[in-house]
Amino acid sequence: MKQEQFVALHAEEWDSLRFWLAQLDRQPKAALRSEKTVDFPESYRRVCHHLSLAQARGYSREVIERLQQIVEMGHRQLYRPPAPRWYKAATFLVADFPRLVRENWRYMLAATVLLYVPAIVTYVLLQWRPELAHSLFSTQQLSQFEKMYDPSNPKIGRSSGTDLQMFGFYIMNNVSIAFRTFASGLLLGIGAIYVLTANGIIMGGVAGHLNAMGYGAPFWRFVVGHSGFELTAIVIAGGAGLRLGLSLLAPGRLRRETALRDAAWKGARLALGAFAMLIAAAFIEAYWSSISLLPDVVKYGSGAAIWLFVVLWLTCGGRGHHHAA
Amino acid sequence: MLDTIREIETPEGVSLRLRAAGAFGRAQAWLIDFLLRAAFFFIGIAVCSVFGRGGMGLGLLLLFVITWAYSVVCEVWFGGQTLGKRSMKLRVVCADGTPVTLIPSVVRNLLRVVDGLPVLYGAGLVCTMIDPSARRIGDIVAGTVVVHADDLPAGSKVPVVPSHILPVPLDPDEQAALIDFAERAGQLTVQRQEELADILVPLTGREGTAAVNQLTAYANGLLGRP
Repeated sequence: MKQEQFVALHAEEWDSLRFWLAQLDRQPKAALRSEKTVDFPESYRRVCHHLSLAQARGYSREVIERLQQIVEMGHRQLYRPPAPRWYKAATFLVADFPRLVRENWRYMLAATVLLYVPAIVTYVLLQWRPELAHSLFSTQQLSQFEKMYDPSNPKIGRSSGTDLQMFGFYIMNNVSIAFRTFASGLLLGIGAIYVLTANGIIMGGVAGHLNAMGYGAPFWRFVVGHSGFELTAIVIAGGAGLRLGLSLLAPGRLRRETALRDAAWKGARLALGAFAMLIAAAFIEAYWSSISLLPDVVKYGSGAAIWLFVVLWLTCGGRGHHHAA
Repeated sequence: MLDTIREIETPEGVSLRLRAAGAFGRAQAWLIDFLLRAAFFFIGIAVCSVFGRGGMGLGLLLLFVITWAYSVVCEVWFGGQTLGKRSMKLRVVCADGTPVTLIPSVVRNLLRVVDGLPVLYGAGLVCTMIDPSARRIGDIVAGTVVVHADDLPAGSKVPVVPSHILPVPLDPDEQAALIDFAERAGQLTVQRQEELADILVPLTGREGTAAVNQLTAYANGLLGRP
């Protein structure tokens, strides 16, 4: 068949499909109501067929480009992924995320060690030789910590600022740290190792210094509430980062690109879960941890309950369900 | 391969052509986004400051949203285009040409941290120059590609003139070249048209304008016009 006849025969269908697809981009609701919606897959596949015919018969660029544009627009609509749903976010938090954490338990264990061992070492060191605190922090920082955890301070854990202000600060600061920990894992894991270890040393340093100078009680009363979510979230983000780095170093039986993509996609889900945990942590830290009037039993009791919840959630969440993750 | 077109085979068995966007256009889109976000942030801060110190918290939340969430939300819910990409007519798609989904979008945007090293997307720039599809590190890891979203102008039509039948049979690609010439001749200067047409003196037996007209007549014949 000559090109002119071919175009004359089918141009009407091409134009109407193109018009409908363009409408779908601009006014999706009106386009979906039209009758063309039902015919779309069939009509699209016919145009695909026309395109291969046109290519095989060597029709001119004008026709091929025209068909290619329609196919490109149609492909984008027909193979569009389903829209995100809220219930998926809920299943993710309840089941998929804990499962993903358990699946990567080796990395999580490594991240836990990298965070807590430097913290404990620094803490013990500062009990033994308190003056070492001055090599970790500047005098200005130390006086800031002392002011924040002064037992006479009515709002522990901060030198100034309202609850809402601190909430915003915790979100911006902590989530950025978690995201950076994950992403910098791509640098052969070095970024994640650095962030975890450095945070461990700072944590142990602050705790050790305050404990050594007798401000231990307000400090522990402050951190016990939100630490369950916050520290675990940093460990998870760090573990995801370690996996990203290791998939580049030792991809195993996969190609490097495939291993990296797999690690990154799972890591992104872990980072999103850590993000949710950090929102919870920021709420607790801004609105609950800072209240200094509550008795010890309430403070430590709630803190223990939150730790228990986090551990149970991550170890048992999603067990016994067998739908695909 | 010198050009930036990625061919992707669709389930229908036809090939889809994605035109990968280079570093320059993407940098422009990023700059537009950056300025928009900065402007939005300062307006937001000004509004939040009405609420006093608590307003600073809202300002920090706003900063968080425009730093980390802006690109992901735009890419997933607004057809793979941030405002900057929209104005530069670029779009993020998955490597198979389908719209980008949440997880790949999160990956490519979180890995801006690595692409941004050491300063101002240095690593990303080097990576886009090395990669044939101009992907930055985040794109490679996420399995996405930034493509041009504007429609190419479909070639113009061959001018209608009374057709001539070719004196000798031609191969399919030779026929295609002849039709291409007739379609594109309008975009060339008359001198260039004649220069090209003169290559085919053995076929047309003419020179100059007459040769161009003869070729157009052959093209009409090949297209099936009377």
